[in-house]
Amino acid sequence: MFSGKCAAATIATVLTLVGVSLCADTVRKDLHFKVGKHPTISINNPYGPVIVRAGAPHQVTITAILHSDKVELDQSKSRNRVDVISHLLPGADLNTGIVEYEVLVPPDANLTLHSDNGKVHAEKLHGDVTVAGNVGAIEVIDCAGGHIHVRTLNGAVSLNNVHGDVEIMSVGGDVVMTGVTGAQVAVNSNSGRIEYEGDFGGEGEYAFTSHTGNIEAVAPAYASIDVLARSTNGIVQSDFSLDPKHAPFLVRGANSLSGTLGKAASSVKLFSFSGKIRLKKRQN
Amino acid sequence: MNCLQFENHLSDYLEGVATSDQQAHLNSCSACSGLLADLNLISAEATSLRESYEPSPRVWHSLESQLRREGLIRQASRPLLPEFFRRWRTAWLVPVAALLLVAAGIKLYQPARIGDNQPVAKQQPLATPVMPAVSAEDRDIMTTVASRPPAQVAAYRNDLAQANAFIRDAQEAVKSDPNDIYSQQLLINAYEQKQMVYRLAVDQNNEEEQ
Repeated sequence: MFSGKCAAATIATVLTLVGVSLCADTVRKDLHFKVGKHPTISINNPYGPVIVRAGAPHQVTITAILHSDKVELDQSKSRNRVDVISHLLPGADLNTGIVEYEVLVPPDANLTLHSDNGKVHAEKLHGDVTVAGNVGAIEVIDCAGGHIHVRTLNGAVSLNNVHGDVEIMSVGGDVVMTGVTGAQVAVNSNSGRIEYEGDFGGEGEYAFTSHTGNIEAVAPAYASIDVLARSTNGIVQSDFSLDPKHAPFLVRGANSLSGTLGKAASSVKLFSFSGKIRLKKRQN
Repeated sequence: MNCLQFENHLSDYLEGVATSDQQAHLNSCSACSGLLADLNLISAEATSLRESYEPSPRVWHSLESQLRREGLIRQASRPLLPEFFRRWRTAWLVPVAALLLVAAGIKLYQPARIGDNQPVAKQQPLATPVMPAVSAEDRDIMTTVASRPPAQVAAYRNDLAQANAFIRDAQEAVKSDPNDIYSQQLLINAYEQKQMVYRLAVDQNNEEEQ
């Protein structure tokens, strides 16, 4: 009995010490900047997440958790621009180079964010959002009015309730869009899957292309679209009864389709080399 | 004007044919103004680089061969690229080579009207393309990322292979139907992907050198 209690106490003590030592290695830094209208905020963080949300006007608040002394923050502010860089020092690696950012920016801020392996999250913003990543997930939520540019090699990309021009390029990361509309919504993927669920509103041009990745678009029955789809070596399927329309290429068999739905207010182009393309009707 | 339209007319802008729409977009778009700043910086830096950084002739040969296979250039009576380009550092060469390829792709993209009989792409007798297993440019990029963790190096190698496969397939599609603007667009997209891989590799390298 005694030995059991003793062992438990020993384990608890060790865990506590480990926890304390881990906490002791992290350093929290708080940065505050006063900015004007439409400020430009740039955060370059090789390792670790960058979470950005809308805050108060004219204020930028950055909380950074540095995981070791192998990384430091370089910050600069000039006029209406704020730049923060996680500066890796000699010996920094994937673990010791981590910095976790939580950032509040004015809703009208223009953002440029970069993280290689950390999640990048932008929420409730009205300015331009430019994100570059490598393997970390990229999320853009509840943003409207700006341009959304995303470049990633293999990170998953998720856009939810986004209204504005959208450009996404991904090599292997899947791209999932829900409730996304804009004058131009373009996705260029290689092997990553492209999924869209929404009404293709805004009388916009939607162009999704892939090399081998599948493309799936789910739209309501009331969608107003002009669809052109082709997979050179894959198949194309549609749940909709589209009104036939002349296509600028030979529509043949199961690997292409062309037609309109409703008043054909938006243009939808789905092209793949060998991925499967499917246009699905949303079940209510 | 949006970013896509701006990029489509970027070559005009660089040649000095700027419109008010382009200028207005530049003033409001950080991404496009950044891209333009990068190009201007590359151009400015190129003149100050030393002879000792001259890249291997095989890099230029490979680039020229690829453009020639695309049918984008004819037999040149003068050197393909001005002399001062040859003096660029290898680190600059990689993204610039990618930009050139993308620009070539943009030039290729000339929408044809339905029913046009004239081919959109310049038709030249094309030799059977023999793609090297690893191009000189790709070798340079892999050298750039060689010091990174093995998993990252493998990921870059895989990303490059995917981009190259996309380019090869899109090239075949364009060859089989040079009038097909959508195959041309796939080819442009494929080149843009390769440019992105190059750029992200070089960007990260620059960060680590800071």
